[in-house]
Amino acid sequence: MEIANTAPQAGGLSGLLEKVCFTPAGLVGLAVLIVLPLIPPFNQEYLVRWLVQAAFIAALSVAFDFTAGYINIVNFGFCAIMGLGAYTSAILGLRTGLSPWVGIWTGAVTAAALGFVIGLITLRLRGIFAACLAWFFGLALMGLATKMVWLTRGPLGLRAPRLFETSSNVPYYYVILAMLLATYLVTRLLVKTKMGLAFQAIGQNMEAARTSGVNPVYYRIVNFTLSCALAGWLGGFYAHYYGILTPDMMHTSKTVEVLAVAYIGGRGSLWGGAVIAFPFIFAMELVRSSLSSLPGLNLIIYGLLLILVMIYYSGGFAEFYNQHFRKKEARA
Amino acid sequence: MNILETHNLTKRFGGLVAVNNVSMHVQEGDVVGLIGPNGAGKTTLINAISGLNPPTSGKVIMFGRDTTGKAPEKMCRLGLSRTFQIPRPFPKMSALESVMTAAIFGNRPGKVQDPVALSREMLAFVEFPLPESTISEQLNTVQLKRLDLARALASHPKLLFLDELASGLSEGELNDLMKIIRKISRKGISILMIEHIMQLIMQVCNRLVCIQFGTKIAEGTTEEVANDPVVAKAYLGSSGE
Ligand SMILES: Nc1ncnc2c1ncn2[C@@H]1O[C@H](COP(=O)(O)OP(=O)(O)OP(=O)(O)O)[C@@H](O)[C@H]1O
Ligand SMILES: [Mg+2]
Repeated sequence: MEIANTAPQAGGLSGLLEKVCFTPAGLVGLAVLIVLPLIPPFNQEYLVRWLVQAAFIAALSVAFDFTAGYINIVNFGFCAIMGLGAYTSAILGLRTGLSPWVGIWTGAVTAAALGFVIGLITLRLRGIFAACLAWFFGLALMGLATKMVWLTRGPLGLRAPRLFETSSNVPYYYVILAMLLATYLVTRLLVKTKMGLAFQAIGQNMEAARTSGVNPVYYRIVNFTLSCALAGWLGGFYAHYYGILTPDMMHTSKTVEVLAVAYIGGRGSLWGGAVIAFPFIFAMELVRSSLSSLPGLNLIIYGLLLILVMIYYSGGFAEFYNQHFRKKEARA
Repeated sequence: MNILETHNLTKRFGGLVAVNNVSMHVQEGDVVGLIGPNGAGKTTLINAISGLNPPTSGKVIMFGRDTTGKAPEKMCRLGLSRTFQIPRPFPKMSALESVMTAAIFGNRPGKVQDPVALSREMLAFVEFPLPESTISEQLNTVQLKRLDLARALASHPKLLFLDELASGLSEGELNDLMKIIRKISRKGISILMIEHIMQLIMQVCNRLVCIQFGTKIAEGTTEEVANDPVVAKAYLGSSGE
């Protein structure tokens, strides 16, 4: 982990890159993602759809890692909070005719408010208990979405207005890519400040952090609220992209998918999950389309991959990359 | 002037009275040794004072105000630092980042202009033997304790608690540590140190407090307490275990 101001200030191009939180390889990756839906075979609609899905999971994993990888609380209710943002935006759109472009932000505010409350309630709890409590909140939210049929239409599905008139997936892809970029930049810039040091301190050793003067109440709530706000914001995109919401989207298994991507990508790296999401989602889609007769197979694959990562590379892809490529870059 | 006073401090864990009615004090400029056999309640006593595990009853007066049960982060900013008997590192942070945490958050806002420079200064002060970029999880216990000391000093304490800083040290390292403790004391920081190594206690402490089964059995100058037959008996009585 690095703290910006301890590194020697690099000048010129690399200094500029440092400021915008990208390595040269990262910028190339971003450029590839920008042109990808224009070049064959990726310009086919079903592949662009996979790209949208991957960028969506990538963004969620960054926001998830901001909490799990820094303050060390695994928010098992993460996708339920994402769903809260989605339902908020969709319901406001349907009932009041609010534009989805505005609705997405109301989703973020609602999710942030709930994140604030959960943060407040879990304050005195250790990591694992906080995780459980967040999970219960998630289950309760999903229960509400299922039972409050008058509002959400329950399992029948709630139709939401779409962001664009067109049936093409390409404009959606650029919206979610921009949201992924924004999510990464916001979280990255924050963890580079002294606030990031406080997050790591309370995540890595609560007693030592408090003895060093870090106020865990404040930093835990700030972190949790922001992470949930981002989830709700992304949920708004989900609502107005898929155009239909069912309570399943809030299921714990969806959170596990995000967790798998974040952990395989590398806890505490922020960028690892964003990178891994693309090959991962493509692989999962291929598996799903060729073996559709085996429901639940994806969960088994997540489980096996997570076990492998935990045993061989607990720092995930980010650690693997840093060990094998970063050092060479630095030496050159 | 007393920088720390405890009045009838008691800490219970269920039925176990780990600290029993302890009243003691530390004067400004003191280096007080807190001694007693294993399991006497020494660590529990400083946990109770520093807010990590608040006392069941009794009172703590620190820096002239009542600080009983105040949160450890508040105590830290008031001017109390401590090290841990069993190191509690930030495993993924570098040595420099670990110290910076206290440099940034342990001081009143605006007091430290350059936390990086301060942290480097503290690492040098405790003669931390490895590069500042070393990740904490790669350090051994002795190195971690040294790092913990640098971290504790980075918040500019007026009063410092040390919990068995010297255990596991070689003769040479012990001498170095002795010099470092004297240097800290010369900075004007008052010290309360839990220690078993008599050689170190005799050389750096001006006063001693001895507890056994949670109760204070002796308090006075180093000479007085070290020669107290009650203290000798407490140690002999427990060394057979
Ligand atoms: N969190 C706790 N819960 C229950 N009992 C505890 C707890 N912490 C300490 N104790 C008990 O309190 C007593 C005092 O322990 P303490 O660690 O304060 O002793 P100590 O004097 O520091 O000993 P040592 O020299 O071995 O470090 C012991 O009997 C211990 O088992
Ligand atoms: Mg102890």
